Amino acid sequence: MTKSGWAWVWFAFLLALDIAIPWYVLTNVEKISGAFLFWIVWAVAAIISAFIVFLRWRGVER
Amino acid sequence: MSAAFWVWFGIAVYIVIGLGIALMARRRLGVGVSEFFLGNRSIGGFVSALTYSATTYSAFMMVGLAGLTYLTGVGALGFELTYLCGIFMMVFFLPRFWLVGKKYGYISPMELLSDRYQNKGVGATAAILALVFLVPYGAVQLLGVGYLMNGVSGGTIPVLAGIGIAVVCAIAWSSIAGLRSVAWTDAFQALVMIITSAAVLGVVVAALGGFGAFFSRLEEATPGLLTVPTAGGSWSINMFIGLSLPWLFFLISNPQVSQRLFIPKSVTAMKQMMGGFLVFGLIYTLISVLWGFSAVLLVPGLKNADLATPSLLALPIIPTGLAIVVMLGITAAAISTIDSILLTLSSVWARDIHKGLINPRVSERGELRVGQWVIPIMAIIAFIFAWWVAGQPGGMLNLMIAPLSAAASAGLLMAVPAIFGAFFWKRATAPGAMVSCIAGAILVLILQVTGWRPMGWWPGTWGFIVCVVLFIGVSLATRPPREKAEEFIGYLREALKKGNFS
Repeated sequence: MTKSGWAWVWFAFLLALDIAIPWYVLTNVEKISGAFLFWIVWAVAAIISAFIVFLRWRGVER
Repeated sequence: MSAAFWVWFGIAVYIVIGLGIALMARRRLGVGVSEFFLGNRSIGGFVSALTYSATTYSAFMMVGLAGLTYLTGVGALGFELTYLCGIFMMVFFLPRFWLVGKKYGYISPMELLSDRYQNKGVGATAAILALVFLVPYGAVQLLGVGYLMNGVSGGTIPVLAGIGIAVVCAIAWSSIAGLRSVAWTDAFQALVMIITSAAVLGVVVAALGGFGAFFSRLEEATPGLLTVPTAGGSWSINMFIGLSLPWLFFLISNPQVSQRLFIPKSVTAMKQMMGGFLVFGLIYTLISVLWGFSAVLLVPGLKNADLATPSLLALPIIPTGLAIVVMLGITAAAISTIDSILLTLSSVWARDIHKGLINPRVSERGELRVGQWVIPIMAIIAFIFAWWVAGQPGGMLNLMIAPLSAAASAGLLMAVPAIFGAFFWKRATAPGAMVSCIAGAILVLILQVTGWRPMGWWPGTWGFIVCVVLFIGVSLATRPPREKAEEFIGYLREALKKGNFS
């Protein structure tokens, strides 16, 4: 699979976690350390993975 | 001096600074359509990041999202961060838009669609979709400014005056130097938005005893708001998907945002734009949600959740000066979204409707003139729409703002399959793109107006499913523009490999 293909798979995996963890794993955790913390960590993971992909970009500057 | 005086003074200072920045931007204005609508594709990374942020984040964040958090809890954070996660798709779309924009000279995302599908009807369909759904969305922003100014000034600034101020600023900043004045004022406004919101949150959290005490009190006072679904029944999975799906694809469905993908001057500027926006978005989202949670503790029991922000700002712990500055920050968020919408709609009208359908032989100067005239016309339409909504009884207003915003984002979602197809599917066709856009948008409007939700699924979800099925089905049944598809996607494949984009 191409690097781009893996990036799509990773993105789909993130979206699956986005629903699976808060609704099925953390649904009874009524604390800040529950869904609130999960979504922040999840978003940071998504942002870091985006950085990992786009920092490889290169190009001829104008 | 009265609060009203300081509100007026703050507005005056804000307008003078914004006007000064816009006039400075005009000194760098060149000639031509690409220059006016895209800043000649030569905007630096820092300004690109801030204009993207300011355009994306509207008054919804500190008013609507804070209110949604107040009412429904942590699901609002998940919803907004899901949108931010959707920006991950920028790693696929930013280089693609940027590369084909430079190669083929596209001015608007709709022009890209027309060219790729070799059918001007596709661009016109997407343009009409944008006009139908973005004007009400802009009007909602105007209303937000009107009510905020009215509230913070203690009712001395009429709602209509607030709406008028926002319209005049948006027209001025998009007309003075096109994208350059919009981008530069956006950059200023983005900084105002984030600094003022962080400052006021700091004051509120300090009053609550710091973050530790704030979170402890939140867990004790309202544990039901920290899970999904909430104790009150909000945030079922259907609700989450229904709200999040349109926003997940915001970066390509909303033309005022996707047009920004054409403007960075270099690959470095692209990286700065994307990285800067992601960091800005995370911080601004957390501030807005924590703001909503702090309202849960400090102003409990509000009947209307949209009043959470004005009620917090009215507390004695918030100095009047800071409340006015925050009001300006929220106003900046609204105006920076409206002026971008006006500029994009004017470029879409000039390029995709006037030149594309009405007068294909129009000169570049004539096209630019049409675009410049469209800016105030669109603004006046949005003003009249906002005026009409503001004149409705209070209950009617509450009934209209939320559906309008939801319908706008769900309606614009219907262009997404056509955009995916343009970049990734050689078999995609113009009839597939047009039929899916039109049928999806009509379905969304019907479901939105009737309130009908088959199986509990939201209008955007149904619209998107029908839209995708129609796009694939009709495309398979019709003839694709093979030569253009090979050339377009083939060029991208080579260019993406060369720049290590894929």
